[in-house]
Amino acid sequence: MDDVEKAILISFDESGAIDSALKSQAVSFCQQIKETPTLCRLCIEKLCFCRLVQVQFWCLQTLHEVIRVKYALLGLEEKDFIRKSVFSMCCFEAIDDQNNNAVRILEGGPAFIKNKLAQVFVTLVYFEYPLIWSSVFVDFLPHLRKGAVVIDMFCRILNALDDELISLDYPRTPEEMGVAGRVKDAMRQQCIAQIVKVWYDIVSMYRNSDPDLCSSVLDSMRRYISWIDIGLIVNDLFIPLLFQLVLVDGGSEQLQGAGAGCLLAVVSKRMDHQSKLSILQSLQINRVFGLVTGDSDSELVSKVAALITGYAVEVLECYKRVNTEDAKGVSLELLNEVLPSVFFVMRNCEVDTSFSTVQFLSCYVATMKSLSPLREKQLHHVRQILEVICVQIRYDPIYRDNLDMLDKIGREEEERMVEFRKDLFVLLRSVGRVAPDVTQIFIGNSLASSISSVSERNVEEVEASLSLLYALGESLSDEAIKTGSGLLSELVPNLLSTRFPCHSNRLVALVYLETITRYIKFVQENTHYVPMVLAAFLDERGIHHPNFHVSRRASYLFMRVVKLLKAKLVPFIESILQSLQDTVARFTTMNHTSNEFSGSEDGSHIFEVSYDTCRDYSQAIGLLIGMEDVPSEKQSDYLSSLLTPLCHQVTVEILLINANVLNPEESPVKIANIQQVIMAINALSKGFSERLVTASRPAIGVMFKKTLDVLLQILVVFPKIESLRNKVTSFIHRMVDTLGASVFPYLPKALGQLLAESEPKEMVGFLVLLNQLICKFNTAVHDIVEEVFPAIAGRIFSIIPTEVLPSGHGTNSEEIRELQELQKTFYTFLHVITTHDLSSVFLSPKSRGYLDKMMQLLLHSACNHKDILMRKACVQIFIRLIKDWCTRPYGEEKVPGFQRFIIDGFATNCCFDSALDKSFEFHDANTLILFGEIVLAQKVMYEKFGDDFLAHFVTKCFTYCPRDLAAQYCQKLQGNDMKALRSFYQSLMENLRLQQNGNLVFR
Amino acid sequence: MKNLEAIAAALPNQQTVEYPSFKLVIVGDGGTGKTTFVKRHLTGEFEKKYEPTIGVEVHPLDFFTNCGKLRFYCWDTAGQEKFGGLRDGYYIHGNCAIIMFDVTARLTYKNVPTWHRDLCRVCENIPIVLCGNKVDVKNRQVKAKQVTFHRKKNLQYYEISAKSNYNFEKPFLYLARKLAGDPNLHFVESPALAPPEVQIDLAAQAHYTPSVLYLTFVFAAGNFNSHEAELAAAASQPLPDDDDDTFEACTLCSLKRKELLGICQKMKNLSTMTALMHK
Repeated sequence: MDDVEKAILISFDESGAIDSALKSQAVSFCQQIKETPTLCRLCIEKLCFCRLVQVQFWCLQTLHEVIRVKYALLGLEEKDFIRKSVFSMCCFEAIDDQNNNAVRILEGGPAFIKNKLAQVFVTLVYFEYPLIWSSVFVDFLPHLRKGAVVIDMFCRILNALDDELISLDYPRTPEEMGVAGRVKDAMRQQCIAQIVKVWYDIVSMYRNSDPDLCSSVLDSMRRYISWIDIGLIVNDLFIPLLFQLVLVDGGSEQLQGAGAGCLLAVVSKRMDHQSKLSILQSLQINRVFGLVTGDSDSELVSKVAALITGYAVEVLECYKRVNTEDAKGVSLELLNEVLPSVFFVMRNCEVDTSFSTVQFLSCYVATMKSLSPLREKQLHHVRQILEVICVQIRYDPIYRDNLDMLDKIGREEEERMVEFRKDLFVLLRSVGRVAPDVTQIFIGNSLASSISSVSERNVEEVEASLSLLYALGESLSDEAIKTGSGLLSELVPNLLSTRFPCHSNRLVALVYLETITRYIKFVQENTHYVPMVLAAFLDERGIHHPNFHVSRRASYLFMRVVKLLKAKLVPFIESILQSLQDTVARFTTMNHTSNEFSGSEDGSHIFEVSYDTCRDYSQAIGLLIGMEDVPSEKQSDYLSSLLTPLCHQVTVEILLINANVLNPEESPVKIANIQQVIMAINALSKGFSERLVTASRPAIGVMFKKTLDVLLQILVVFPKIESLRNKVTSFIHRMVDTLGASVFPYLPKALGQLLAESEPKEMVGFLVLLNQLICKFNTAVHDIVEEVFPAIAGRIFSIIPTEVLPSGHGTNSEEIRELQELQKTFYTFLHVITTHDLSSVFLSPKSRGYLDKMMQLLLHSACNHKDILMRKACVQIFIRLIKDWCTRPYGEEKVPGFQRFIIDGFATNCCFDSALDKSFEFHDANTLILFGEIVLAQKVMYEKFGDDFLAHFVTKCFTYCPRDLAAQYCQKLQGNDMKALRSFYQSLMENLRLQQNGNLVFR
Repeated sequence: MKNLEAIAAALPNQQTVEYPSFKLVIVGDGGTGKTTFVKRHLTGEFEKKYEPTIGVEVHPLDFFTNCGKLRFYCWDTAGQEKFGGLRDGYYIHGNCAIIMFDVTARLTYKNVPTWHRDLCRVCENIPIVLCGNKVDVKNRQVKAKQVTFHRKKNLQYYEISAKSNYNFEKPFLYLARKLAGDPNLHFVESPALAPPEVQIDLAAQAHYTPSVLYLTFVFAAGNFNSHEAELAAAASQPLPDDDDDTFEACTLCSLKRKELLGICQKMKNLSTMTALMHK
């Protein structure tokens, strides 16, 4: 072993056994060799004499690199030498015949050395074929007579040529694409016919003696079919040979599969549809149908399956594309012939990955639309398609327990299936549209048979059938469901009356309830089924299901059902409440123990569940007992039987916490209890309308008012606990809606308490409540707003900076976001005040002090706020204030100084400067709207201030403009055409920007 | 079930430990997270700083299966050509491989076929896993549905997040099963991993789009409406908390299904209106 070989071996060694100094020495030694002028010679020499694979690989890699990177720098002689040597190696010739130690690397060498050699060979082809080395392929062919070793190498070279240069599967540079085109053209013209002939001869000769070799040949050939003359393959020689290979009994499966692969390539070749159809017809593909019935795991079956599906795709494509009646007929016939096998493949085999079942079937179903009414054959296919869908959406029973417990594996499987089903359900929908009756009958039968089935897959069958029924419901119109069109009037009652043996299964129970809910509109019209629906939800199939995932979902779905059916449920209220008694008792006398709330993962989970469930029940009950159809006395009884214990609980908890008798761990639990109670009451109240509570049944209103009183007490006791505050605030929101104006007496206390806290987040919540009040009651809340406004303004100005909020990098903190949110809400608040005729609030003696600050802030934001919509809101506020506070020209000033501020500040800074700025994007839709408001503002100012405004604005802003522009502006402003004014002003701004060219010299 | 040891012994690979070991080659573009990935196994740590691998680094990672302990010698190769060293020379005698790409960088996925080709030139017929890394990052560029390469070449595909340990053991488990020829092989002990840097929330990712939509809506809602409509919007501003239908549609951005639909409708109108305005 010489130094070079040693160095290469060491540089390949990653076992950690080599001293690192030695290693880096070896690496740099190898690097030095690469710089020597005799490098190529050295590599080829080593390839001829050294048997170490690392050395051989290194030499080939180095040669490849030299040719690839430095081809242009190599001398003619050197190129000639490389070419000859590489060719000899590939053809199994010894380069140096005199030396008996010569190594032939094709002999016994590992595959990766041969592949690397093929790569080197192809790199030469890249640079030299066809111009310099035009005979490369023709010269190679005679060597194939030497037998398997050279044939195998030839296949590797052809594969490498495809991989490295021709195949479109890899990203290529335009230059590479050019070379590929050149090589393909030359081969087509010069040698591909000969190569195909050689392929044929080799396969014919070796098919029995060396099937593996023949498979390799066919695998390479398959890659070439897409770009060579199809006539070379589709002829009386090759096609029969390929079919013989595929159909041979007891032969090599690999060879059969390789043959099928070539046939698939023939079938898939891009060509004009009429010629394609003739080829498809000539193949008599039905010969291979029998092969897919074998062992479904075998490679052969999957290859033949791919051939069948690929063929079907092409036939369908032809059917869609051909124009003549004749051709249509032929392709339809071929399609009908192949479809049964396609369905078989879909049901029983792993389908080829390039084939999309859904896509193909959807495409087929789409062609049926033009065929209505469907013939028996097509209807048969529809049933087959439904069968395929039904089989594919079925869960595998091995996951049954995982899915039932919903552990990690179960969760993953469910997610996967939900995703997988999406496309299939889309297909189901289109099938349902093409053949509604067949689809409904199929689903009905599938449900019926799954009910009676005793198979081991029963759970999965039932689940799949119910899911189909559910998916069908998704695609039906409300009208169809209501009237129970088609079979539905049988299917739905059947569903309602069924109890599956596997109803304890989570998935079955869930999809059962979902499906009932999906078809509830049918029950709405056929009220005699109401008891059945109620039973399904109230017994152990629904909210009393042992699996808490089911009972939780059931509570939600039940609430929705109640919402829809409520008018029909009056006679059942008593019995519903009876059934719910146990669950209701749980939350009216609820007591979370501390371990339930210990923060352990499971504990908090359960807590959350009961939280949701409690809300859904409360809402459902509220909807039921809140109806006007419920007799007044009953209603009061029901409500008080719920509110009294709930309120009592709050009172007790408050006392307990106040009395300080709890140890520290208990407090959070108590707070959680209170929270849940408020939420329950809140949900309950949603069922009661404002009319009922305030007009027809005032006694109910009194009960809610009492409750409000109790809950407001919470704010007094726990002003600092955010979660409680939020819950109470949200209840106040509700009561504003429910109690209407009769909520007024409670507002001072409520608002007073809420205002006590001034953190930005709390402030936002408070302003939202005020916005609701103003929007609902308009000027009726004038006094209240006037009362609280000074305090609000004081708070706001102490929290938010009057200049811009910091923005940009590093300011994306929670605090800044809260401030931004507060600022935004504050502007909305001001906007709501002004647009509800309440601007006088700003002028009350106590508020007056803030007016100046407020105006500055608004003006600054109107010009600079980064949110264009906020700027627009600010401009709108100004417009409104101008209208409110300024009477006709030269009238008395309501707010002294305001007019001056508007003309000097607002008009100049906002209406002119800010719009002139480059950042004002006329291409942005939002900005355009802001611009509209700015133009409107000018109009309003002109109306209110007359020439006062005009003179000032024109002198200030139009000084350096051509005189006629100013005149035009005045004219447009005085006119009545807003649109003209707007577009004039826009082009004015754009022109000024051009003149100004980025600086403000002209002003 | 075949004996793991016998299988490992039969493969051309130096045995340096007394239990079965396999050479696993990890390839993929630079910066896709190959080094980060192998270092999650507690022989190393997640390093935020990106230092390109020079040539190759070999990490021995041990796993405990129901058939005994096994070792993957992970050859973490350089993704960047300039740091290539022996490049495909490192693949020699590889028993299995992972091809890594970065779901947040489309180009790294486009290059997957090339990595696969180069790998297969040297290692014919070895089990290969394709890994889409960094799925914890919000703006991914390669969606799971767009990843189809593995189907053409019969590879296994996993979405992983080295940063959060998400699916860390999946590729190794798949390769171990393939190498052992035993689909039921499983890990009896999870390997010690570095603590996750981020918590992956796939549900949040799924909901990302609607919430963006929501924001866009909020921004846009005021635009095209007149004053009156705006006031109506303020009045019907969703009251905080306790919304009933929320989890029907989107728990994350607390939008009801109906609202979502409404927004979509509005968005449609919005684009037509914008188009009209620019005419």
